[in-house]
Amino acid sequence: MRGLRPLVEKEVKNLLRDPRIYIGLIIPIIMFPIIGFVISMTTSQAMEAAREKIKVTIIDEDGTEASERFISLLSDSGLNVTVSAKSLDEAIKSADKLGSKALLVIHRGFEESLKRFGRVNIEIYSVIRSVGFKSMGVQAAVSNVLKRTSEILSSTLISRVAPDVDPEVLRNPLNVTEYSVVKGKIVHAPSGSIFGQLMIGHGVLVPMILFVLSMTVTQIAATATAVENEEKTLETLLTFPVSRYDILLAKLLGSSVVAALGGVIFAAGFVLYFQTCFSGIGLEFGVGGLLTELPPPPSLSYAILIVSLILAILFVTSLGVVIGALSSDVRIASSLLSVITIPVLLPSLLIVYGSVDSLPLALRILVYAMPTSYPMIMAKEIILTPMPMQVIYGIPYSAALTLIVLYAASKILTPEKLLTLQYKIKLRRMKKERRWELE
Amino acid sequence: MAERIRMANDRIVEINSLVKRFGELTALDEVSFNVNKGEIFGLIGPNAAGKTTTLRILATLLLPTSGRVRIFGYDVVEEASKVRRLISYLAEDAGTYRNLAGYEYLSIVARIYFRSKRDIEEAVEEAVRISGLGDRIMDKMKTYSKGMKRRIQVARALMTRPKIAILDEPTAGLDVFHAQHVRDLIKRHISNGGSLILSSHNMLEVEHLCTRLAFIHKGRIITEGEPEEIKVMYGASNLEEAFLEVLKR
Repeated sequence: MRGLRPLVEKEVKNLLRDPRIYIGLIIPIIMFPIIGFVISMTTSQAMEAAREKIKVTIIDEDGTEASERFISLLSDSGLNVTVSAKSLDEAIKSADKLGSKALLVIHRGFEESLKRFGRVNIEIYSVIRSVGFKSMGVQAAVSNVLKRTSEILSSTLISRVAPDVDPEVLRNPLNVTEYSVVKGKIVHAPSGSIFGQLMIGHGVLVPMILFVLSMTVTQIAATATAVENEEKTLETLLTFPVSRYDILLAKLLGSSVVAALGGVIFAAGFVLYFQTCFSGIGLEFGVGGLLTELPPPPSLSYAILIVSLILAILFVTSLGVVIGALSSDVRIASSLLSVITIPVLLPSLLIVYGSVDSLPLALRILVYAMPTSYPMIMAKEIILTPMPMQVIYGIPYSAALTLIVLYAASKILTPEKLLTLQYKIKLRRMKKERRWELE
Repeated sequence: MAERIRMANDRIVEINSLVKRFGELTALDEVSFNVNKGEIFGLIGPNAAGKTTTLRILATLLLPTSGRVRIFGYDVVEEASKVRRLISYLAEDAGTYRNLAGYEYLSIVARIYFRSKRDIEEAVEEAVRISGLGDRIMDKMKTYSKGMKRRIQVARALMTRPKIAILDEPTAGLDVFHAQHVRDLIKRHISNGGSLILSSHNMLEVEHLCTRLAFIHKGRIITEGEPEEIKVMYGASNLEEAFLEVLKR
C-alpha cells in the first residue's frame, strides 16, 4: 500500500488540472441556477401579466340592463373593456388591432335566461399572439375574472330566491378538512401534499445526485484510466513496484476525491435551482416544509443514507475504472460507458416509481444486487422507516462488491490480457461499424 | 534477497530458450542470452526483430510463451513483484502526464520507490539534475518538447537507482546534443554500480556505448559478443557492416 498515496495524489492533481473535468464539474453549478432563474422569471412574468389591466373586446348582442351590468362587473374585476357593435369577424379584426387579449360574445337572451334562472351562454375567443408563460398567464387571468363574475351572478340569484341562505354554503355543501397520519402523528395537510413533499425532498433529490454524480464520476474514472492507455503512461506505471490492485484503487479514490468536489458543487447548484425556481411562485411550505411537521428521522438514518449513496457511487465508479482499463482509447471507453452504467442504474429507478415488494422475484433480486438501489430505498423510507434492514445489509455488500470488481479488474490489468481484450473489443467495434456501413 | 543476488553471482539477467507467440506470429524464437553485472548490454536489430518484446518480458509486462527469464535469480513470471523492485523500464514511446509538472512527476515516482524523506529528496534532486531541464522542471509536461519528455523519462528511469535499467530506444527522437546527454547519463549509471540493457536501431551509438551486445533478427539471436569481437569475427569496420554480413551468411 506504500505506493497508494502518491498514486492517488497523481490522479487528483492530473484530473483537477484537466480543463475538461473542470467544465464537467462547473456546468451543474451554472446550469441549475440558470434553469431555476429562467423558470422563476417566466413565471413572474406570467403573474405580472395577470395583474395588469387586460384588454378585452366585447360584443353585446343582448344590449339589456343585465348585460350592461355584467360588462361593468367585468370591468370592475380588472379587465379593460371595449364594447364593439360589429360582426364577429370584424370584431376579431378590431380586437387584434386594439391589442385585446380576448373577445367575449354575450348572446341575445342573456337577461331573459338570468330571469328564468337558466344558464347563459358566453363565448370567449382568446387572441393568441405568442406561445409562452406570459400568454398563458393572461388567458388564465381572463378565465379567472369570468369565474369570479359568474360567482357574483350566482350569489345575486341565490340571494333573490333565498335571502337567508349563504350562497357559498349552497354552492359547496360539503366542508372537507384533510389531515394525514404519519407514524401516529397527525399532520395538517392532505396526503397528496405529503407524497409530493416526500417525492421532491428525497425521491427526486437523492436519485438526481446518484444519477448525475455516478455518470459524471464514472466518466472521469473511465477517461482517467483509458488516457493511461492512450497516452502510453500505463506501461511505465505497470513496471513500478506497486500492485495492480493499488493502481486501480488509486484511480477509484482519485476519481472519488474529484467526485466529492463535484458532489458539493452539484448539491449547491441543485439547492440554488430549487431556491430560484420556487421563490416568487409562492410555494407556501417550501420544499420539504411539510416534513418539518413530522418527527425528524434520527441522524443515524441520514448517515446511512450518505454512506449508501457514497458506496453506490464508488461501485459505479469502479465499473468506470474497469471500462477505462479495457479500452485502448478514450473514445472506446466513452462508448462502452453507457452500455454498462445505464443497465446498472436502471433497476434503482424501479424503487422510485414503485414498491420493491410488488416486483417479480427476478427483478427484486436484480434490484437488491445493485448497490445503486440502497440509497434509493433509504431515501424513500427515511421518513417512515428510519432503519430499513435491507439497507443496513446492503452497506457491507456494496463495499465488498466494489472491492471485488477492483480485484477482478486488477487480475486482468496486465498488458498481456489487456492487449487481447482491447483487441477483441476493437475488432467487435470494427465489425459493427462495417455492418452499419453495409446496411 | 541478498542471498539470491549472491547466488546469481555476476550474471544478473538469464534468458533461456525464450519463446513468445502472439497468435500465429512467433515474435521470439528460442532467445537465450545473459547480462552480467556492470554491463551495458545492447539488443540490436531492425524493426520488428523482437527487441521490444524481449524488454517487455524482462520488465514483467508480457508473459513468455515458453522458456525461462530470471533477473537477479528471480523469475519474471513467478516473482514479478520482486523483479519490479530491482528494475526500471523506459518504454520506447513512454508518455507523460499532461497536467503534472516534471518535478511533481519525479517526486511522485520517488515516493513510490523510497520510504525515507531524505532518500526521496536525494532521488528527486538527482533526477532534476540529470534531466537538465532547469526551471522548466516546474512547468506542466504538456508544454514539453519531445526531447524534454524523453529526458524526464530517462531521469525517472535512472533516479530510482535500479539494479538494472531496461531502456528501449533511449535516444529515439532526440537531437544530437540530447542523445549525447542521455548516453552520458547511461555511462554514469554504470560507473555508479548499476547495470543496463538497452535496445537500439542505431548501431554506431551501440558500438560506442555497449560493453556487450546481441544481434536479433526475426525473433532469433544471430550473434552475441563484445562490439570489437563481433567486428573482428565478421571482418567489418563497424557494427552496421557486421550486422549486414551476419544476415548474408
